[in-house]
Amino acid sequence: MGVANPGLPGAGTPAFLTTRLDFVVNWARRNSLWPMPFGTACCAIEMMASAASNFDLARFGMERMSFSPRQADVLICAGRVPYKLAPVLRRIWDQMMQPKWCISMGACASSGGVFDVYSMVQGIDTIVPVDVYIPGCPPRPEGLIYGLMMVQEKIRGESLADHAALRAEDPLGAGRPRAGDEEVADLTGPFGNSTDQNRVSGLVETGAIGRPEDRLP
Amino acid sequence: MTSDLGSGGSAPDFGLVAAGGRKGHDPAPDTAEAGNVPPVNPSVTALRRQFPDGVLRNRVCAGDQDVVHIDSGRVAEILRWLHETPDQHYDHLADVTAVDHGGGRPIEVVYQLWSIPQRSALRVKCELPLDALEIESVTGIWQGANWLEREVYDLFGVHFRGHPDLRRILMPENYAEGHPLRKDFPLRGRFSRAEQTRRALTQDPEDYYMPGEIGERTPQVVASGADDGDEAKASGAGAGGEGEADVL
Repeated sequence: MGVANPGLPGAGTPAFLTTRLDFVVNWARRNSLWPMPFGTACCAIEMMASAASNFDLARFGMERMSFSPRQADVLICAGRVPYKLAPVLRRIWDQMMQPKWCISMGACASSGGVFDVYSMVQGIDTIVPVDVYIPGCPPRPEGLIYGLMMVQEKIRGESLADHAALRAEDPLGAGRPRAGDEEVADLTGPFGNSTDQNRVSGLVETGAIGRPEDRLP
Repeated sequence: MTSDLGSGGSAPDFGLVAAGGRKGHDPAPDTAEAGNVPPVNPSVTALRRQFPDGVLRNRVCAGDQDVVHIDSGRVAEILRWLHETPDQHYDHLADVTAVDHGGGRPIEVVYQLWSIPQRSALRVKCELPLDALEIESVTGIWQGANWLEREVYDLFGVHFRGHPDLRRILMPENYAEGHPLRKDFPLRGRFSRAEQTRRALTQDPEDYYMPGEIGERTPQVVASGADDGDEAKASGAGAGGEGEADVL
């Protein structure tokens, strides 16, 4: 589409045209976000409450929880994700059509929460790109609604001129971790009370990447 | 709960009643307490009479829960007796689990039995030294032991001889870090988080389904010549065979 590229020769006032088009497109996108609920734990209860009549997510255009990723616009990962579920989450994200956004709802999805253990993904941002993190354990429905409105704000600032940069996907990245090794190590560092726990509690020396600050003296 | 013994033992052991041959792993029981707490469940005395050298010791835990320690080599024989003797009839295996007390002490495999006609519970334990984590499967006695024993194998590494399908059940199939509920297992696993994430994403979610649940579905169109495709359909339309009704 020619108007999406402001650098086209002959387009007299590309800025004016694209900003008007951006406005219309973003208005349409942000007011018809269909969430893909990926609820695994107690956060999903609050997500259900957000969609029910008291809080009524439909007011903001999240009319319909789309239980198929193919028709969904925003992935709401609500709850803890164990490593066994990680490929499922990644596949669902890969199946969603562009444009798509991702919300990490709650402490566990965002950082692993209290589950700083062998079986739990330490933040889904190691697996899929996350647009908005919602703190809380679990967050109140108001928190989820605020997070969705932040996604709306984010969409409001997008431009079709950045479409390629924002929306291009590398097919080779499908089914792979979003973050590289160093970034995963940074993201999954110990939080909160877990700094008091030694990483290697037993007698067996392991081949894990050494984190001397994790070990007890 | 029995009174606090205040012993200096490292493992909490409430109201231990020593009887029969002991294996010297646990701290010595309070001898004043020995024999003072009779078993609540009559199955315990019957079990002692039937297997005088198979039952190592027994005690009462949490008021009325009888715990029987048995010889790990005779677990199938003793549990089958408990299952099939009409007076016992422990027909429900509520749980199979294990306890690792750490410090090189043996791993305890715990069978929690329940007799539906007698309405009585019995807890049977046997100890396995860490260098010989192998025990006979009881899937031949209770079918429901299948997944429970898989769970114990997955999390503790106890091998069950004669189990029909001994593989991991909770952890991923490609999990290579060991058995997570063992005391010598690091809390955050043996691999780095990056390695764990990478390994997790190499799994195929379809591996978790049985082969019949995905893949071969029953074809919705019943056609005689499946390979011929359109040609078979065209010729079938001309001939007007009875197979056409199935297709439409």
